[in-house]
Amino acid sequence: MTTPHLRLVPASEPAPFYAAAEKIYPREISGRFSRLRRAAVILLLGLFYGVAWLQWDGHQALLFDLPARKFHIFSLTLWPQDFLYLTLLLIIAALSLFFFTALAGRLWCGYACPQTVWTELFVWIEQWTEGKRTRRMKLDRGPWTAEKLLRKTVKQLLWVALAAWTGFTFVGYFTPIRSLGSGLATLSLGTWSTFWIFLYGLATYGNAGFLREQVCKYMCPYARFQSAMFDKDTLIISYDEARGEPRGARRRGTVARTAGLGDCIDCTLCVQVCPTGIDIRHGLQYECIACGACIDACDEVMDKMGSARGLIRYTTEHALHAKSTHVVRPRMLVYAALLLVASGVLTYSLLTRTPLILDVIRDRNALYREVRGERIENAYSLKVINLDDKPHAYRLAVSGMPGLELTSPVEPIAVPPGSVSTVAARIAAPAADSGGVHKISLTLTALDASGISVHEKSRFIGPSP
Amino acid sequence: MSSSAPQPLDPERRRWAVDVGLVLWPSFLASCAASLLFFAAVDPALLRDAGPRLFADLDREAGYALGFLFFWAVGALASALSVYLIRTERSRPRAAGSRPP
Repeated sequence: MTTPHLRLVPASEPAPFYAAAEKIYPREISGRFSRLRRAAVILLLGLFYGVAWLQWDGHQALLFDLPARKFHIFSLTLWPQDFLYLTLLLIIAALSLFFFTALAGRLWCGYACPQTVWTELFVWIEQWTEGKRTRRMKLDRGPWTAEKLLRKTVKQLLWVALAAWTGFTFVGYFTPIRSLGSGLATLSLGTWSTFWIFLYGLATYGNAGFLREQVCKYMCPYARFQSAMFDKDTLIISYDEARGEPRGARRRGTVARTAGLGDCIDCTLCVQVCPTGIDIRHGLQYECIACGACIDACDEVMDKMGSARGLIRYTTEHALHAKSTHVVRPRMLVYAALLLVASGVLTYSLLTRTPLILDVIRDRNALYREVRGERIENAYSLKVINLDDKPHAYRLAVSGMPGLELTSPVEPIAVPPGSVSTVAARIAAPAADSGGVHKISLTLTALDASGISVHEKSRFIGPSP
Repeated sequence: MSSSAPQPLDPERRRWAVDVGLVLWPSFLASCAASLLFFAAVDPALLRDAGPRLFADLDREAGYALGFLFFWAVGALASALSVYLIRTERSRPRAAGSRPP
């Protein structure tokens, strides 16, 4: 934190922090990185809009069914009791973000962030309806002609339709999308489904059509703290100042060095293509989402000028200062180790997951009951939760004391998929052996499937000896 | 809207827009996290048993939505107080012409 400088300013001077945001008209660009981004957009949005419709084993393949409180992930069904897996998954996602950020900078921002991906799609529509950068600027400056009205209307209609479809698909991951679709077709959608579709559609339209780079600049917390994961070996997009300066225009064929110039011809194409409107030549800025558009623009210019590519390039701070770059370094090892541990725990616990939970609660009303003076009986309340997506019948067994027997239930306990059954159980032992408190174990085993079995500990109480 | 000629917002209106964003956005994120944690542990259908008069006709979808909006409102209140306290702080006049540290 720096000490604020005292400076007298006229009261009318507006604070630069609130300086007007200029509308940015990103210039269209082609090249290696824009091809990569286009591929990422098509892949990620294809998955988003497509997977929602995929069926698996008679249900939606990926469905976080909130109304029914169960998550379908292909053949796996998770219940609220499986919250641990979601937590682990979120931890793994965060650690992967740290790992890849430390390794290669803001890969997430440039290629995978929904903000980038949907903005790209909205910009494609804008380019298709309103034309290239210079035409768009001219159109915005010009008067409202019939053509301008037409172009703007078509753009808005496409944007609204896309946003609505996005909202619909999004809600389709939380409520079965096919019933949502038929609800939409017959105009009989539920109030809350409509509300969420509208809200998410509005958010898509606002973020990707209207706010765009301002989300990254003003709203994204990650943009602010990602520098904590950066070091001098992290891949960044950087302008090679030593090679580029002094910048300046020149005739084609001029040998830069003999004219006293660097390789930068100051064409400002790198600024024009930037979706966040920064000048990469000012150095690393937190507004830079590392999309690589400026690299593509500059490479193209360097090709035309007959200079080597890479005046703006992916590099590291160490490489820029002619030092060697280390990919393997303590930070990377720590992130990688944490990531491996978390992934290992998740994989192991998923592989060994038993889709059955047994809760045993001792009857609170009576400690014990004497049966015909020769046996002592304890009562328990069992909660049997079948976490599988098939119905099962379970047999209860007890152990831990000589002569311990299950009085009831003797019949197998049948539980429908994803349901909880509450069962009253009675366990008895010979009176002679049952004085005091004993530790016992209850075992519940599925009769119709192998490997589904759980143990639960409880207590058996007899008369004080 | 972006359909008119680029007309920069005047600073006062922009400051207001920034403040609204500062109130609504972090509270939205916090509400997402709070809803996730809360509803992982609590089935909204059970709220009916907790307050029969208040939640009589509550189904799960309504429970989730109202819970989310409730957390958002509480978060927004906290953010609004923070923004208000920062804006009215005497030692940091808002037209000082310097970026916040």
